Amino acid sequence: MIRFDNVYKTYKTGTDALRGVSFKVEDGEFVFIIGKSGSGKSTIIKLMTCEERPTQGSVYIDHFPIFRMPRTLVPVLRRHIGMIFQDFRLIESKNIFENIAFAGEIVGMPRKKLIQTVDIVLSVVGLRNKATAFPQELSGGEQQRVAIARAMVNDPKLILADEPTGNLDPLTSEAIMALLEEINRNGTTVVICTHDSNLVDRMKKRVIEIADGYIVRDEKDSGYTCEADVPPEQCEEL
Amino acid sequence: MSIRTLANSVREGFQGILRHPLVTIASVTTILLMLLLMSVFVVFSADARYIMKNVGQQPPIELYMKLDGTEEERAAVSNYLTTDTDHVLYFQMADPEENYNEFKTNLGSSSSILEGFDYNQYLPYTFHIQLVDPSFADEVVMHLEAFPGVNKVMQERQVMVFLTQATTWVNAGTASAFLVLFLISLFIISNMVRISVYSRATEITIMKYVGATNAYIRLPFIIEGAIVGLVSALCAWGITYFAYSRIYDSLMAQVEPGSFYAILPIQSLSNGILLVCAFCGILIGAFGSGVSVRKYIQV
Repeated sequence: MIRFDNVYKTYKTGTDALRGVSFKVEDGEFVFIIGKSGSGKSTIIKLMTCEERPTQGSVYIDHFPIFRMPRTLVPVLRRHIGMIFQDFRLIESKNIFENIAFAGEIVGMPRKKLIQTVDIVLSVVGLRNKATAFPQELSGGEQQRVAIARAMVNDPKLILADEPTGNLDPLTSEAIMALLEEINRNGTTVVICTHDSNLVDRMKKRVIEIADGYIVRDEKDSGYTCEADVPPEQCEEL
Repeated sequence: MSIRTLANSVREGFQGILRHPLVTIASVTTILLMLLLMSVFVVFSADARYIMKNVGQQPPIELYMKLDGTEEERAAVSNYLTTDTDHVLYFQMADPEENYNEFKTNLGSSSSILEGFDYNQYLPYTFHIQLVDPSFADEVVMHLEAFPGVNKVMQERQVMVFLTQATTWVNAGTASAFLVLFLISLFIISNMVRISVYSRATEITIMKYVGATNAYIRLPFIIEGAIVGLVSALCAWGITYFAYSRIYDSLMAQVEPGSFYAILPIQSLSNGILLVCAFCGILIGAFGSGVSVRKYIQV
């Protein structure tokens, strides 16, 4: 599904965000990308959505070389990726139904199908009774579930989540992660950037750890803390 | 693009206009000023062409005899005009008394100032001549000027020359002012769009992440600009219609509608002005927004 081959990214300011990062994510995997602030986690997400281009190296999504993708094709790529953010990014002037339908309207989904799809995803996230409510009337957890519903509406193969539980209490975070796990069980690849050590430890999924632009750890069924085979000095930095 | 997408964009365009009413008013006013200037140019050009066409079809020639001209000299001119039917369509001689009476009629209520005026001493005999073809004007004038007792021969061609020159100057001035106002309009629209883009930044970001194309994101802003342009155009047309009607009524109160100097009635100009204003207004609004939104939305 995702392949990074020796990817370097240096921003115009001269900051080296990634220094020779290589990894693969298979179809249907659930992966946490962890690391302290400024380690390069968000850059990885930005490279996957073509918001940024690598300075060097190759990035593939579904075997497609997106690192040299023409700008005009970027929207097509993004229609196959569901994005979830820490701050939910819902449109306050639209109600919940409209916020979710918005993603389908953009890709030109027929009205009838759109109504059905929105109804289904609202049921999946458990907010069918809130369709006419506005974002400000919902709790943080509910808003994040709306964001997940919106990410699902175009039936993406990949969901990218940047700190999806950053603004939520532990209990709500658990519920959100359970929802993402459920989506993953149905075949969608899920990549999550997070600081939430409890969740990562509890879920025991694959963990890719970034420090100073390098991958310092890539372990299956791992937790937030380092396993025995990682050098202690790298663990101490986290 | 589906009809639903277009309908959504139109709705968003209207919402954008209502979201920042003061900015919208500033944009409408600027484009309105530019279109008003253009309307004046269109009206002036149309009237100038109309007068030139009328004058050009049958340019009248006015011949003034010298005050001390003799009966024989007038007869010679009259004979020439009678015999030269190849060039002269029609002529009429007026004696000083007839000219005096016409002068008095033209003065209307102020004609009392001419009481006791010795017209025989100050007003000459005149000939009003119309030609078969306006292209004969120079040749006929040259012949007439050679007759003894002829003081001067006036051609309406001079009016045409004046109108042509005036039109050129007005056109040049209008074009310069139009260009300046066009740039100001673009600047104002650019700001309008920038404010609109900032107020919808979250929405635009989300649109980008869910795969909206550049065209999809830009369309509401372009429609917003086009609506502002159209509203400006309608205002400009309304003001021009009202102002020109008043000017027409005022001017034509002293001029016969069939006269060479008659200007076009508003009914003849109305549709043309509306079309030109609407076309230019929408073009400026849409173009200004399109260029600006391209600059501010890095998709």
